[in-house]
Amino acid sequence: MSAPATERTERPAAGAARPTDRRTGPRRRSGIPGRLALYGTLTVLALVFVAPMVWAVSGSFKPRGDIFEYPPKLLPDPATLDNFRSLLSDQPFWHWFAVSVVTAGLGTAVAVFVCAMAGFAFAKYRFAGKRLLFNVMFSSLSVPFAVIVVPLFILVVKSGLSNPWFALTVPWVAPAFGIFMMQQYIIQSIPDEIIEAARIDGAGEFGIFLRVVLPLLRPSLGALAVWQFLQSYNSFMWPLVLISDVDHYTLPLGLNILFRAEQRQFDLVLPGAVLASVPTILVFLLLRKQLLEGLSTGAVKG
Amino acid sequence: MTIPPPTAAPTGGTAKPAGKRRQLAPYAFIAPFYVLYTLFMVVPIGTAVYLSTTEWVGLGTPDFVGLRNFANLARDTSFHKALGNSLIYVLVSVFVVVPAALLIAQALHTKGLRARDLFRITFFLPMVLSPIVIALVYSLLLDRDYGLLNSVLRALFGGGNTDWLGDPTLAKVSVGFVILWRWVGYLTIFFLAALQAVPKERYEAAELDGAGRLRTFTAVTLPAIRPVTAFVVVTSFIGAAQLFDEPYLITGGGPGEETLSVAMFVYRAAFERQQFGYAAAAGLVLFVIVFGISQILNRLLSIGRV
Repeated sequence: MSAPATERTERPAAGAARPTDRRTGPRRRSGIPGRLALYGTLTVLALVFVAPMVWAVSGSFKPRGDIFEYPPKLLPDPATLDNFRSLLSDQPFWHWFAVSVVTAGLGTAVAVFVCAMAGFAFAKYRFAGKRLLFNVMFSSLSVPFAVIVVPLFILVVKSGLSNPWFALTVPWVAPAFGIFMMQQYIIQSIPDEIIEAARIDGAGEFGIFLRVVLPLLRPSLGALAVWQFLQSYNSFMWPLVLISDVDHYTLPLGLNILFRAEQRQFDLVLPGAVLASVPTILVFLLLRKQLLEGLSTGAVKG
Repeated sequence: MTIPPPTAAPTGGTAKPAGKRRQLAPYAFIAPFYVLYTLFMVVPIGTAVYLSTTEWVGLGTPDFVGLRNFANLARDTSFHKALGNSLIYVLVSVFVVVPAALLIAQALHTKGLRARDLFRITFFLPMVLSPIVIALVYSLLLDRDYGLLNSVLRALFGGGNTDWLGDPTLAKVSVGFVILWRWVGYLTIFFLAALQAVPKERYEAAELDGAGRLRTFTAVTLPAIRPVTAFVVVTSFIGAAQLFDEPYLITGGGPGEETLSVAMFVYRAAFERQQFGYAAAAGLVLFVIVFGISQILNRLLSIGRV
């Protein structure tokens, strides 16, 4: 029985350009009614996924009184930008946005590098203690955050490092999931010969990583970067515990106080939610192929 | 049907006698991870063990109380409730979300399906959104008085005063639904990739043997994607066991404590009630359960070996 991480294929570039046999599914001719039912089901499902988002986007352009009207109008009438205006003028929205984007961006840049380096070591070197070290790394995936949150909060506060620039980035720049993903990808897509050739040319080990391996990893680095950015940008519990100064809030925290405010400010919350989602949806749509393929590479061998 | 045996032998990749630098290089490459791992995982867990034996409100010196926190947890009905609710979230994830993801993946894998990528991307979208965005949209949609869902029900059937977030059972159902909505598209990605990697010949062989669709699924598909299923099940288990965002944001753990999860219990004890020792003890209990079970599962299903 082979498991995701046990099966070793030394096939070069299998993960990168896995031929996705799109037209060789298991189903045999199922006839036109079957087809219709299939498309019908998938479309209804797609609507279930999209409808809440459409409702939120549409609502963000409606005057407060129209948001809950029934039946809901798809296109706001009258449409207004007032909600966005009052959100942006009355709330430190751009502060929150900046904290979220800068911490997520910085953390991601470092994480991608750290993960690629460690993944490279686990994929292409033989060294004493490798199996144990890998198992320790891998098992850290099953440590629930709830056990760490209290002591980590106390340690960070006691050492005076509770500012968002440190506490929202540094502890999270070496995600085990990323190392695992990189290790799988490197095994599949970087042939030993390239590394050997670079060694014969006299390159140092770090030079090989930097100039030979890293450029070849570009597609999966993109996947990891998107994933890591999403994780950080969307994270909620740790910033909630850590940050008390409203000006240093991340976007999720800012939206949370708007939502919990006395008179439940839907007309601010909806445009806030929409604006907060724009960057992640854009990044996702731009890099969707890389992300979706990169994510599954680790678990499924090509 | 058999599967190729595992080639579990560790392959070092490049193994030739070489200089010291080359022997040290891998350690240098993994060092950053281990430094951070020690500082932000090992040290906190150690601190949690220490804290769990104390009573501490966050000021002054913690008082040593031995195992009293654990004894109290064993008697705390809120904690039992939280454990029970987290178990429900785990069961929903493993027995509803995972099979649903497999079904969707199977549908998306249909031969000659058009717009496959469009569907795949649409189903994945919730994963991209912030939990807070999802939570606030759903709490507006599910609101008893003016939520869209009740408005629709009212228009169709009359009545429509269902308290989706205020009724003990329905609140759990609502949180469960949001979990499904958020995670199913993500897990589908893994199943779809796995299905696409099943060798065509196995299906052809099954067809020659005259196997029906269900038989093909159980005899060919399921064994072939078993590694991925194992991975997905363990990932979902770990994610659901430490669920915090959805219940905290959508129901606040309520009504009463009907949707309170263990992670919320820890948060509430530490940051709303200043019982840091008690919170650390509860976190450790969750850690032991989750870590223990996933190590056993990893071993049984042989996930994550070098």
